[in-house]
Amino acid sequence: MATASKPQTGMKSAEKEELLRIEGISKIYDGTVKAVDDVSLTVYKGEIFGLLGGSGCGKSTLLRMLAGFEAPTKGKIYLAEQDITNLPAYQRPINMMFQSYALFPHLSVWENIAFGLKRDGMPKDQIAERVEKMLGLVQLTKFAPRKPHQLSGGQQQRVALARSLAKRPQLLLLDEPLGALDKKLRETTQLELVNIIEQVGVTCVLVTHDQEEAMTMASRIAVMSEGYFLQVGDPDTVYEMPNSRKVADFIGNVNMFEGVIEEDEPDHVTVRSLECIHYVGHGISGHAGMQVGVALRPEKVMLSKRKPKGDYNWAEGEVIEIVYFGAHTTYHLKLASGMVLKAQEINSTRDLSCGLTWGDKAYAHWSNEAMVVLTQ
Amino acid sequence: MAQSKNTFLNFFSGRKLIIGVPYVWFISLAAIPLLIVLKISLSTMETASVSNMVDWSKGWPSLTLNFSSYQFIASDALYVKTYLSSIKYALITTIICLAIGYPFAYFMARAPKHIQPTLLMLIMLPFWTSFLLRIYAWKTLLVNNGIINNALISLGVMSEPIAMMNTPFSLTIGMVYSYLPFMILPLYANLSKLDIRYLEAAADLGTSPLKTFWLVTVPLSKAGIIAGSMLVFIPSIGEYVIPELLGGSNTLMIGRVLWDEFFSNNDWPMASAVAIVMILLILVPMALLNKYQSDQASDKAGA
Repeated sequence: MATASKPQTGMKSAEKEELLRIEGISKIYDGTVKAVDDVSLTVYKGEIFGLLGGSGCGKSTLLRMLAGFEAPTKGKIYLAEQDITNLPAYQRPINMMFQSYALFPHLSVWENIAFGLKRDGMPKDQIAERVEKMLGLVQLTKFAPRKPHQLSGGQQQRVALARSLAKRPQLLLLDEPLGALDKKLRETTQLELVNIIEQVGVTCVLVTHDQEEAMTMASRIAVMSEGYFLQVGDPDTVYEMPNSRKVADFIGNVNMFEGVIEEDEPDHVTVRSLECIHYVGHGISGHAGMQVGVALRPEKVMLSKRKPKGDYNWAEGEVIEIVYFGAHTTYHLKLASGMVLKAQEINSTRDLSCGLTWGDKAYAHWSNEAMVVLTQ
Repeated sequence: MAQSKNTFLNFFSGRKLIIGVPYVWFISLAAIPLLIVLKISLSTMETASVSNMVDWSKGWPSLTLNFSSYQFIASDALYVKTYLSSIKYALITTIICLAIGYPFAYFMARAPKHIQPTLLMLIMLPFWTSFLLRIYAWKTLLVNNGIINNALISLGVMSEPIAMMNTPFSLTIGMVYSYLPFMILPLYANLSKLDIRYLEAAADLGTSPLKTFWLVTVPLSKAGIIAGSMLVFIPSIGEYVIPELLGGSNTLMIGRVLWDEFFSNNDWPMASAVAIVMILLILVPMALLNKYQSDQASDKAGA
């Protein structure tokens, strides 16, 4: 789940040039169903922005409003300081790569890519030149005369990308761009896609339900639920410092303890939960006696057979499940409180390192900086 | 022996039997009758009967072929004119049906899902009344002292009735009215399956709604257009009842010639020859349709 470095994250805020601004946008269906609920967002030039959320969270509706397929009930959309809220889809300098691509089945690969250029009344020789360039970019030059159904899924995906980039849009929308590909192909395609996008230098808004896809591709992500943003930030910030139980739960795996703040000091807090006392090595905005959640990622939990020293940050339990993933193994530890604690151990040697098996007693322990205290 | 018995059993069980049923149906009810008609068209009036198909007079079966009916069709300008006129009326009917039926089917396919079954029902509703009755009803509307003329005269739009009956106009109205559902239904079936995302993709790439219609919707519904046109064109060519009731003597249609040859002149060979030529005329568009469909199929299969 760890994220690769993104070139855009290094950008200083002073260099950021605003491209897309959404102001308080809402979409209400049938007068009552709020698909998108008062969302505001700024996307900067050159950025790949990821909208992440489960099905029905409103991410697709938001994307469709950007494309112009849905009219917002309320709010404004600005592209490069120009109000495009009421501009029809065919007049927006925005192109979209559709989920499962929507390539025109009656046209060849070449004609699909040229489709948008022809509508702009571009001279024929320039169209040919641009299409050839696009075909080269996605490495499909020799497939130009084929029809879409004669291509593999990965090839269709690249045609869709070439078609959406051909008009050099100011903003590229990607709707579940890798959703139709199998897992192995996704990993290679993901990087290929980011490379091409960076080569062209186009700003992107990406919609996905797959957190891995969002984290590897996007430079900034918004976690969406029930029509609004739960958290917006860098992938690593969202992962390591989720701002709510919902976000912690949605992104990656998490062990969630419920407890009460006992000590609230500027440099540390302690939280008493049923399972153990947590010693958090930094201050938080809370107060003693406050009900909080303590989120702990499984990969930050260590296991041992011997009882750890000290009074904090450990728990005893019984191994009830061992899930082997190859690169790592996840142990499920049943604690006295009944809570099942997940601990992920890296298989650094070929004999499985912990030496734990089903039914063993084991101690789970973690560092002072491993967990996040959540007040919401 | 055991081997051959097995093969015999295999033939009457399972796959071959199931495939065999439509073949038997086709051969006994379509191919053989057609061959009989073909043979009669190649006989003289005296020998034209089903019992007289094969000549045994020489001691062995032989066929005597007589091409005089075809020669007569080719030599008499009336037949050629009638064929051309039939094709003309069938084409006009098909084009008008397409022009009316396409928007009809398009809006049906775009209508809210829950009212689509009702709209479909309304298209098929006329079939609940006898075809003959409905054509006859048009007569009462179109005749000189019919409802339309009377209404227009009493409204003072005109003083003299317009002659609408027994004209190409009344014939075309009757044909379009009767065959319109056969155009709408395949078009609706096709258009309701049209993926809305193609239209969105076209809009996204800068295509106005009207252009999108011509560049995406129409090409993608080509199969429906062809199927609907065939369903209207083919039966229109041989139509008898509508020209008889609404067309009058001014409108030449091959169906009426066929009727006259059979029942007025009792000339079976001539009638059969007229029918065979009509089938050939229909086979041409059918072959074109088949070619298009197989082109599509091989397009889809070939990678």
